Amino acid sequence: MLTVFLFAALLSKAQTTPSAVNQVKAVFLYNFTQFVTWPPDAFPASNSPFVIGVLGNDPFGAYLEKVVEGETVSGRPIAIRRYAHANEIKNCHILFVNKENPREVLKELAGTAVLTVGDQESFTRSGGMIGFYLDKNKIRFHINPKIAKAANITISSKLLRLANVIED
Amino acid sequence: MKRQPWIEFSLVLLLCHVIKRKSIPYAFFFILLAFSWSQVQSQVVFSPRDLKNLSVEELMNLEVTLVSRTPEKLAETASAIQVITNEDIRRSGASHLAEALRLAPNLQVAQLNASTWLISARGFNSIFSNKLLVMIDGRTVYTPLYGGVLWEQQNVLLEDIDRIEVVSGPGGTLWGANAVNGVINIVTKSAKASQGLYASFAAGSFLKNKASLRYGGKIGEKVWFSIFGQHFNRDNTTLPNGTHYTDAWKMTSGGFKVDWDISSRDALSVQGGYYDGKRKTAGTPSPLNGQNVMARWSRQYSTRSSLALEVYFDRYYRADAPTFSSDKMNTVNADFQHRFGIGKQHTLIWGAGYRYVKDDADFEIRSGAGILPRYKRLDQFDAFVQDEIALTNSLRLVLGTKLLHNVYTNWEWQPNARIAWQKTKSTLWGAVSRAVRTPSRFDVDYFLPLTPQPPNLPSVAGGPNFVSEKLMAYEIGYRVQPTHKSSFSLSTFYNVYRDVYSVEPLPNTLTYQIQNGSEGRSWGAELLANYQLLSRWRLRGGYTFFAKELEAKKGRNFNPAYLGNDARNQGMLQSILDLPGNLQLDVVARYIDPLAKTFATERVPSYLTFDARFAYANKGWEIAVVGQNLGQERHTEFGIIPIPRGVFAKISARF
Repeated sequence: MLTVFLFAALLSKAQTTPSAVNQVKAVFLYNFTQFVTWPPDAFPASNSPFVIGVLGNDPFGAYLEKVVEGETVSGRPIAIRRYAHANEIKNCHILFVNKENPREVLKELAGTAVLTVGDQESFTRSGGMIGFYLDKNKIRFHINPKIAKAANITISSKLLRLANVIED
Repeated sequence: MKRQPWIEFSLVLLLCHVIKRKSIPYAFFFILLAFSWSQVQSQVVFSPRDLKNLSVEELMNLEVTLVSRTPEKLAETASAIQVITNEDIRRSGASHLAEALRLAPNLQVAQLNASTWLISARGFNSIFSNKLLVMIDGRTVYTPLYGGVLWEQQNVLLEDIDRIEVVSGPGGTLWGANAVNGVINIVTKSAKASQGLYASFAAGSFLKNKASLRYGGKIGEKVWFSIFGQHFNRDNTTLPNGTHYTDAWKMTSGGFKVDWDISSRDALSVQGGYYDGKRKTAGTPSPLNGQNVMARWSRQYSTRSSLALEVYFDRYYRADAPTFSSDKMNTVNADFQHRFGIGKQHTLIWGAGYRYVKDDADFEIRSGAGILPRYKRLDQFDAFVQDEIALTNSLRLVLGTKLLHNVYTNWEWQPNARIAWQKTKSTLWGAVSRAVRTPSRFDVDYFLPLTPQPPNLPSVAGGPNFVSEKLMAYEIGYRVQPTHKSSFSLSTFYNVYRDVYSVEPLPNTLTYQIQNGSEGRSWGAELLANYQLLSRWRLRGGYTFFAKELEAKKGRNFNPAYLGNDARNQGMLQSILDLPGNLQLDVVARYIDPLAKTFATERVPSYLTFDARFAYANKGWEIAVVGQNLGQERHTEFGIIPIPRGVFAKISARF
């Protein structure tokens, strides 16, 4: 009996497609490219791709690729990278941090021009820039503009207006 | 366990894209659509292109419906489910849970007196109404004393109800015994969703006053809590001759909820509640009180695999001074359920539970009639398994059965088979189910008088051989959303009942026993419609047709007509209208056919009446005037006691 369950659990794990919420979050990650300005030195060459990275367990799967397929950011193609550890991160512009305790990673990334996005409740108070949360069945996000500013990242006032801005 | 919130977007997203609006004023309509859609979609997959075409505001404005997505819900794809949302309730002006249930047109709701409501689906409405199972956050509130729900004891904070799911038709496979003609699931909001302060005060005529207070907050990063208290006073009804009946009542209740997101896959929720009240009854008042506490742990392995464990304790005490009786019921229930996928086609769910129930039904000799023996254990055990099979992309089959053990009839089984054919905008479904109504103490242990009588004197001497009432139900239904602004649902059924209640004398005596000497058939149709007429104006309504033939078995001498005071036709229409200047004008109208006279009940004339609400809502404040039963000064819904017109004013604040 137990082996059946284990087998079933493995099977269902293997073919996990992102939940609807994560599908929409994937689209948000792409949408952020339109409201955020990165410093010119964030790109090593004029033809360097724009990189969206996922650190830790990837909740989006191939869906994220589908979202950015054929899209560009200021003429740059978009590449998706997946990282198991923070030290693998190089030339990344938007990073979805899926770590139980993101504080360490965010400390390491502090000051680098990476827009950090997470969905832990405390994300924006642990050094993250944008944190998703759900309120009354709707997706919302906190933004900590101070941290973005320290990394030389400019978040448009339009996005700030829609967010719950963290001031500390 | 029955409530395992699963965050789910609806296909409505795509509809938003189609209508291309910068702001979405249809939020509440979307909730309804979302329910119907999420029930038909086991896994929603959006086209990335469609999502990208939505603005950030649009994405943020979409309702992310917290649909309880346990596989029960998937099974309900092929069932007659209706959903009453928090908004529907608030805009109806309902001030008690039982009043809110009038918003489900597939329910027959009859107020018997100031504190008693009789509620049924698909017939058999009577003071017992014992074929409808009701649960609040997975805790059953169906009492095994007489088989039915003591609605006056159910005092949830209406503000914190997330939704009420009303399923007419059998739900025995998943929900257990007594879900013969329907199941009502009252789902309250999580602590996370009831943060902040809510305070309201109402004062008026029939609802004399009601005060509610709730506060929700956060402890640390992963723990949310909410706590509430409320108190109300409800006035007497008035007898037909204009004098006051003595049935006023008051109730104080409170509760708490703590939700802890232990990790990304584990969640623990603990909640509890209490109530304490007094009903005015002839002579001296009758107190009632109760407490309950529940813990639920769930673990999510993947989108298709989860485990949940739930334990609760529930106790109630109620006295009935006029009959010199009281009842004390203690229940401890533990159950778990496990769900997982096998391959791409099968989703299996199985579970088991044990319920400890101890009843103390105390009837004094001068009661004349009552329950013997006074103390009785009513434990039950159940196990179920159900497989949901994706036959093709659009055709799904659900097969399952429940096995249950009870103290009266030992083992019972409740299998069902459901099939759903889903197209983009519509679902055609059918189901065949067997369900049982297990005996209650009032079937087996009822004596009139309480002392043994010789056979030549009339008496009722329990129902020692009473077995479960059985139903075979055949259902066909169709749901459709022709446009993004409207949805319709039609459910039809044909029910065959066996071994229905009867009271018959033993041969050559005047000693009556409760037996299973009746049988019958019922059939009907339930129509439900939602229509967003304008962005500011929403209509929802329904019509139910019901007919039955109930008779004594051949050679039996009993007239079962009084077992169901059922209306042939009934209808409900709710109009929710936002006016300029933050004003709201809402109306709920309802009509019901006459109820025939039986040897136990008077004829009740048909009535058409309506409730209206006029409110000003701005920045968390809301001032409302509500009129209830405005159609006539008073009208009778069951028996002989008329329910009066009532008006109250209410001020609420949400911060």
